[in-house]
Amino acid sequence: MFNPLLELARLLQDTSLRLELSQSTWTVPIIGAIHVLAIAWFGGTVVIPDSQLRRFRWIGLAILLLTGFLLFWSQPLRLYYSQFFRAKILLLVLITLAACLPARLARFGILVSLALWAGVILASRGIAYR
Amino acid sequence: MTFENSWLFPVIESIHVMGLAAFVGTIVLADLHTLGAIPDTGPLTRWTHGGLAVMLVTGAAMFFSDTSRYLHNPAFHLKLTILLVALAAHFTLRRRGTRFTAILSLVLWSAVVLAARAIADFDV
Repeated sequence: MFNPLLELARLLQDTSLRLELSQSTWTVPIIGAIHVLAIAWFGGTVVIPDSQLRRFRWIGLAILLLTGFLLFWSQPLRLYYSQFFRAKILLLVLITLAACLPARLARFGILVSLALWAGVILASRGIAYR
Repeated sequence: MTFENSWLFPVIESIHVMGLAAFVGTIVLADLHTLGAIPDTGPLTRWTHGGLAVMLVTGAAMFFSDTSRYLHNPAFHLKLTILLVALAAHFTLRRRGTRFTAILSLVLWSAVVLAARAIADFDV
């Protein structure tokens, strides 16, 4: 069966950038630091209704996705086989779905996304250990 | 108190990061509003102070789980120093709500986060 995430992981695993990222002493720590700094800068928007800070929220998401993708690139196969990474991706998919809730459910949506983001953070820390 | 080989340390670490998102996340929103970069988001101090309380409790728990690890870590020393300056500025200067104090607050809290992240890179 065709598995797009595994194919992507294999593709990235064989690139020279993967080798450079995993061999450099400081590149991955610096990208990881920017990733965490983005959580600190943009994490507050989770409790603000969407319409107020739409642009600001998208900037934060873009930084998190870009740095997150580079972190994935540094060890694609290990992450593909990590149960916590899989849980994180699943939770991110659910957050995307929750963002599609109609506006009249905004308060409910904030509670749901708060719980899901808490799960994302738990899963992310888990990745560092397993 | 040692629990670094169990699931408890990562869970406490995760709650520390959730506190970070609430604490620094709402400070950044208020500072950027002071600078005119984003619209008013209403009162957020409950999230700020709730996040700070969570960070202090989970931070202390991690510190006491392995005091010698942290006391020998240069990044931890740097983090704690900037943290004390940032907290002092937060409860004094920042109340003035000027452009300068907003920028100072953004720089100091960002520096605390970066130094904290570096703790894992400077284990000896």
